[in-house]
Amino acid sequence: MTAAIRRFFDHDLWWSFGRSPLTVAAALVTLAFLLAALFAPWVAPHDPFDPASLDLLDAFTPPVWTERGDPRFLLGTDDQGRCVLSTIVWGSRISLLVGFAAVLLSAALGVALGVSAGYLGGAYEAVVMRLADVQLTIPGILVALTINGVARTLVPRELQDAAAIWVLVLAIGISDWPKYARLARGTTLVEKNKEYIAAARVMGLHPLRIMVRHLLPNVIGPVLVIGTIGLALAIISEATLSFLGVGVPPTTPSLGTLIRIGNDFLFSGEWWITLFPSLALVLLVLAVNLLGDWLRDAFNPKLR
Amino acid sequence: MSAPPLVAVEGLARRFDVSRPWLARLLAREPRRWLQAVAGVDFAIPRGTTMALVGESGCGKSTVARMLVGLLAPSAGRILFDGTPLDPKAGRKAMAPVRRRMQMIFQDPYASLDPRWRVADIVAEPLDAFGLVACRSERRERVAELLRAVGLSPADGSKYPHEFSGGQRQRISIARALASRPDFLVCDEPTSALDVSVQAQILNLMKDLQERLGLTYLLISHNLAVVSLMADRVGVMYLGRIVEFAPAEELFTRPRHPYTRLLLDTVPDLDLRRRERVPVAGEVPSPIDPPAGCAFHPRCPWANGRCRAERPQPLPVGAARVACHAVEEGRLPA
Amino acid sequence: MPLLEVDDLVVEFPTRRGRLVAVDGVSFSIEPGEVLGMVGESGAGKSLIGTAIIGLLEPPGRIARGSIRLEGQRIDDLPPEAMRRIRGRKIGAIFQDPLTSLNPLYTIGRQLEETIRTHLDLDGRAARARAIDLLREVGIPAPERRIDAYPHELSGGMRQRVVIALALAAEPALVVADEPTTALDVSIQAQIVQLLKRLCREHGTAVLLVTHDMGVIAETADRVAVLYAGRLVELGPVEAVIRRPLHPYTQGLMGAIPRIGARKGRLVQIDGAMPRLDAIPPGCAFHPRCPHAFERCRIERPDLVGVGPAHRAACWRVEVEAGS
Repeated sequence: MTAAIRRFFDHDLWWSFGRSPLTVAAALVTLAFLLAALFAPWVAPHDPFDPASLDLLDAFTPPVWTERGDPRFLLGTDDQGRCVLSTIVWGSRISLLVGFAAVLLSAALGVALGVSAGYLGGAYEAVVMRLADVQLTIPGILVALTINGVARTLVPRELQDAAAIWVLVLAIGISDWPKYARLARGTTLVEKNKEYIAAARVMGLHPLRIMVRHLLPNVIGPVLVIGTIGLALAIISEATLSFLGVGVPPTTPSLGTLIRIGNDFLFSGEWWITLFPSLALVLLVLAVNLLGDWLRDAFNPKLR
Repeated sequence: MSAPPLVAVEGLARRFDVSRPWLARLLAREPRRWLQAVAGVDFAIPRGTTMALVGESGCGKSTVARMLVGLLAPSAGRILFDGTPLDPKAGRKAMAPVRRRMQMIFQDPYASLDPRWRVADIVAEPLDAFGLVACRSERRERVAELLRAVGLSPADGSKYPHEFSGGQRQRISIARALASRPDFLVCDEPTSALDVSVQAQILNLMKDLQERLGLTYLLISHNLAVVSLMADRVGVMYLGRIVEFAPAEELFTRPRHPYTRLLLDTVPDLDLRRRERVPVAGEVPSPIDPPAGCAFHPRCPWANGRCRAERPQPLPVGAARVACHAVEEGRLPA
Repeated sequence: MPLLEVDDLVVEFPTRRGRLVAVDGVSFSIEPGEVLGMVGESGAGKSLIGTAIIGLLEPPGRIARGSIRLEGQRIDDLPPEAMRRIRGRKIGAIFQDPLTSLNPLYTIGRQLEETIRTHLDLDGRAARARAIDLLREVGIPAPERRIDAYPHELSGGMRQRVVIALALAAEPALVVADEPTTALDVSIQAQIVQLLKRLCREHGTAVLLVTHDMGVIAETADRVAVLYAGRLVELGPVEAVIRRPLHPYTQGLMGAIPRIGARKGRLVQIDGAMPRLDAIPPGCAFHPRCPHAFERCRIERPDLVGVGPAHRAACWRVEVEAGS
């Protein structure tokens, strides 16, 4: 057991990880966000969405280091008296949840279609890949908006708010599957000509079994790399949709919603309401991006 | 000759469609183009023996191998295994009992093992695929037995392929091939990618296994020296046809077909007799557009008008079967 | 004076696990016009020696010790610009894969002319004429037409002939050929081997022929050097090394090569495998696999010793027998 653990940490991945301070910093930031989001109820100093705890008199308090600041509200409050820091913590939770779920959906859909298209070939592959190509010509955000719009007309009014997050996940998830499909198909095309796949076919294994047990594990590596970048993009997409007002409902705001809300007050002088959520978003996306960069280099055998 | 040969092949052929994409063809009014990789091959392999197919790239030997194990469907002809013809349209489940009895070893030790699987799982895959073991401990035992049989240790089962050298990986491939207790092994250039000393180990291993387990081998190779060591009967292929088929001793001491003579002439002379060889000029023509008549005639020093027009049929000559007009007409020096 | 003198060459690679010594103190020389074969299995370091001589050793690999002298002058410590002039003019190179040795975007004529004009002082027309002559010499039919062909229009054997022409274009004194026939069909291999032999004899070019194929060495080389785990274990005339190998590794290697007409039986087998660079045993690198190893072999690394000055092996048993 200890030998296995030692072997795990001895892997080249960790060595290149430790060598790059930027990557370590990025990982720490991402970890901080993840933990904060996970443990939001305990991390956030206040619960910003409990109307009972809000006091309108606290509204528009600037950050603690300014002259009118209040040590109770480290980063100030917004127009409803909600602690900005707390809204960021809770907002990150939504952003990360939607981000992860959307990426999982895109990756699952994309890999399934990509691997099967690459392995089975023929008309099926042609259809799937043309679908992917067509969708790629349309900007992702438009696709997400469309799916969002369609879903909202289908979902009954009462369930709108509750379903909003899942509609969002669906929208962003479907808008991004072609990327994963293309990558998965490309890797599959390379791997399927290798002799270990031929050996599996000689054994008479079912194609589905070959795809799941042999091709899938070999495809996961590159998918993981673009998955981290995809996570960053999904978070931004969600922020964009929420900013545009078609994302999560205001009762459970994400970072995007917060930025939108704060935007209204930017020019009347309450700059902190939009600035800090924006900084948080930038930091999170940057950290995830850097991690993805490192993963890509770590997986690239030529650079090792 | 009471028992039927384990493997027999009649008129086996395979062509590939190398036409341009449909739309391009339509616009240019081009007909389909075919690559005749295998153009009618017949042979039989008695049980417990080794038959070799030799030839250079493009001769079709690998295609024949792949058709035998079911990786490719024949375009024509039939394959008989233990007397029973194999039905190309049979489903996977119906073919499973036959598949279990024939396995394949591949050329590239680096691509023939799934890099993400542990060695024990790789070796046990046929056991799982054919449902040959009842429980985990039986599976573990059988894997250990197989690893030991190829000269590795059971502890190697928990490692990954990249931790092994080329020769060791080839041993793992052999262990996997033996898992389902096959009767017939197709070996596609099993040692071409290995160093000479490692090759010796693997060839010796293959011989030992053949003796112990009564295996029948089809050996695909371009290396005549390896073939002379391992094979009982040899078929020489050129552009999709067998041009000479003979018992090994006969082929190497009395080669008849001009191409066979050419191939033997190219084997380097380690006994340093320093004969000044005159290698035959020219290269293997493209199989898409083979020469008319005898496919070898452009490179053959004995080609005549008949060779350019008429394709020779295989005829018995001594213990061999040779497809050559010059041999038939007795024009060749002995 | 020898054309090429390699003295105590050490090539190493720094990695995170420490320094890996890939070539460990190799010394040999090549006379003008001589063909020296360098044979060894994968990982023995033979390609690295060829690369180091040409000056194309890729970092982080580096020459840690020793010297390489061409016509008496050191070339291993030259700046890249000076080395580039020597490469091509004095040393030609033939690599394994003819597909990647030629630039697919230029005609073969253009590539030949570029080399000729870089190293010889010829104008456009003279260079083209010389290129056509070269193509004819290497056996390309209708060279006046083929000179304007692109590499992909030629077959593998033809391409390798063009590569040989490129290597000989500037009349180098030494050609380093790294596995020149391995990627070719056997019948083409024979043609290329004959061509190389003939051309080098006619031009008086020396060849360092690096290969794992003892058969090619037997056909082409005058002398042969056997490498094992980065060390030179035997060096001598090709008949002597092949017929009467001194070093146990060479003996095992010769026994392991299958031959036509030999008795059908088992091949001589050297158990085990060549040690990885980070696990080379102390003393003689071959001792764990050697049937004749004794105490000294485990402790002390042997030098090249021999029965005569020409044929030597790095083996304590040989020294013992030579002394007695």
